Amino acid sequence: MSDTFLAWLTVLPGYTLPLLLASLGLMISERAGVLNLCPEGFMAVGAMTGALAVLAGYSPAVAILCGILAGTGLSLLFGLATVVFRADHTLAGLATVALGLGITGVLGRPYVQKPFDGLTRLSETSWGEGLPRLLGQQNLLLPISLILVLAVWYWIFRRPSGLSLRAVGEDPAAADVVGIDVQLTQLGAVLASGALGGLAGAYLSVASAHVWVEGMVAGRGWVAVAIVIFAGWRPRGVLFGAILFGGAEAAMLRLQTQGVEFPLYLGAMLPYALTLLVFCIACARRGRDNGAPAALGRVYLRQDKH
Amino acid sequence: MPTRLSWHAATLSITALIGPLSAEAFELKGDPKVAFIYASAAQDGGWNEAIELGREAVETELGLNVAVAENIPEEATRLRAAIDLYVKRGYNIIVGTTYGYSEAMSEAAKAYPDVAFFNASGVHNSDNMESFYARTYEAWYLAGIAAAETSETDKIGILAGFPVGVVNWDINGFALGAQSAKPDIETFATYTNSWWDPVKEGQVSEALLDQGADVIATDLSAASALKAAEDRGAHAIGYQLDMSDAAPEGIVTSVVFHWDKYLVPRIQSVIDGSWEPSEWGWFEGLDTGVVGLAPFGPDVTEETKAKVEEAKAAIVAGDLNPFAGPLMTSKGDERVAEGDALPEEDLWTMDFFVSGITGTMPASQE
Repeated sequence: MSDTFLAWLTVLPGYTLPLLLASLGLMISERAGVLNLCPEGFMAVGAMTGALAVLAGYSPAVAILCGILAGTGLSLLFGLATVVFRADHTLAGLATVALGLGITGVLGRPYVQKPFDGLTRLSETSWGEGLPRLLGQQNLLLPISLILVLAVWYWIFRRPSGLSLRAVGEDPAAADVVGIDVQLTQLGAVLASGALGGLAGAYLSVASAHVWVEGMVAGRGWVAVAIVIFAGWRPRGVLFGAILFGGAEAAMLRLQTQGVEFPLYLGAMLPYALTLLVFCIACARRGRDNGAPAALGRVYLRQDKH
Repeated sequence: MPTRLSWHAATLSITALIGPLSAEAFELKGDPKVAFIYASAAQDGGWNEAIELGREAVETELGLNVAVAENIPEEATRLRAAIDLYVKRGYNIIVGTTYGYSEAMSEAAKAYPDVAFFNASGVHNSDNMESFYARTYEAWYLAGIAAAETSETDKIGILAGFPVGVVNWDINGFALGAQSAKPDIETFATYTNSWWDPVKEGQVSEALLDQGADVIATDLSAASALKAAEDRGAHAIGYQLDMSDAAPEGIVTSVVFHWDKYLVPRIQSVIDGSWEPSEWGWFEGLDTGVVGLAPFGPDVTEETKAKVEEAKAAIVAGDLNPFAGPLMTSKGDERVAEGDALPEEDLWTMDFFVSGITGTMPASQE
């Protein structure tokens, strides 16, 4: 059984990191009050751009940077729509997802199902050869992601600019009064969500599947949306949620290969049921406060009379 | 995409009973104009692309110019709009490519009795409509033989989408073929609970490798499962198309469709005026060549190839039925007695693993 646990732990980052990165970015955006349904779209362009870059001969590391750029580019459109032109966040978000999925379908068509060598694992590097399997199977994105979570936490809760971000999400008018540039803060937060979403997508194609096909994000972006709610918009909750959601999936696939009898469909439903449950509990316990930024999804206009 | 294979399973046997009884040859009015309609991209590297190859054969072999519509969703109104447009422009042979088109195509077939309709993995059949699918389990049986002969650990794995009949018969056919070569071989089967998730398919492949399997077969269509096996020095078996590109060293073979073997003669028969739609839906296997194996990989021995050929000849001759008794389930129940064979209609509702398979079967009714 401990072998099974070790094997599960070894593959856990593969299931967890894409969810973690996408939801971390999403959390930053929503902390600034921009309701963001875009991760599925950001990840789609990130996955395609990353794969295309590798197929074009760039190194996996450069390819991942390309994925980040692509995600950021798409988020810029979303940011312009919501922050600058003050479009409805939900509609703009859904449109961004459709755009991301559509664009990848059109541009990536000639590159479907072309396998490539992706990001190297630590055991494949010159210095990491002797590492135990648990570490050797990982890649550099694991430590980078964990550092990112820590950095985001420190920034949001310990730095003045993080406080500004939260202020904008809680009460943009008040933040405006004390001299915070609401629009710039929100735009920056949206771009961060695009960059991390693109990174998450590039992880899927360049580090995980080593192949690109249309629709390969397969709903992980929506799971990220659920994780942020589950996490109560807190970094440590995001980390815990990503491990829970990713770990449950990894465990279920492993249990199947062992022939363990369990209700497959109920198992697949579990993470989502859990999200609902946590959401309900949070709502019941704290009245209307479930951890969401107070001004989440509200379009801010300076002359607006509330 | 293999989505379309899914649900038609349970329903085709029902359709068989309520199909029309009149069997008159269909008469085509005017010159043949053929259109194919896909639910997603035609070049999807899987299910659609296999049919697309058949469409290209129709073009070259029958000298026709075939129209293509892609990304027509599996929604009645959207599909009907596409069909209406084609019919208005004079198209009189329309080929659908997914189970999800079944209902809307059947309605269109009633509205346009002068147009011939075909649907891959569809449900309905009538005077001017025919659904078609292949006995994929026969080819999977052969793939199982090759897998067992290639395996050194005597453990093989197969990953699949959802636990429905058309998928389960692939898994069971694969395991039974393997057992015919090595009676004690262990087969691991895992469902991804998705028709389309290349990331997960790669991850499941890794999980099967971790269990000790050294031949990984995919009943889905992403190359990532084969790539994962190749990266670990294991062997792999693909599906839908020849997937040797994903694992040039480790490929054993791929279970592939040759829809041209159905589409070309069938559309020709419509043009000839000799087409009589099958009232049960067209459903054939290795004997017609509509399903088969792609060329073997470098590590497959001549002996193995001979064994596969022998089994293939026996299946084509009707001497070998993969689901002939005695057939035990993985839970130890006898499903088919010695001397019997699994009834045809039970194929579509297959909800058990045969003995020798390790996996989780959720849909069992017992």
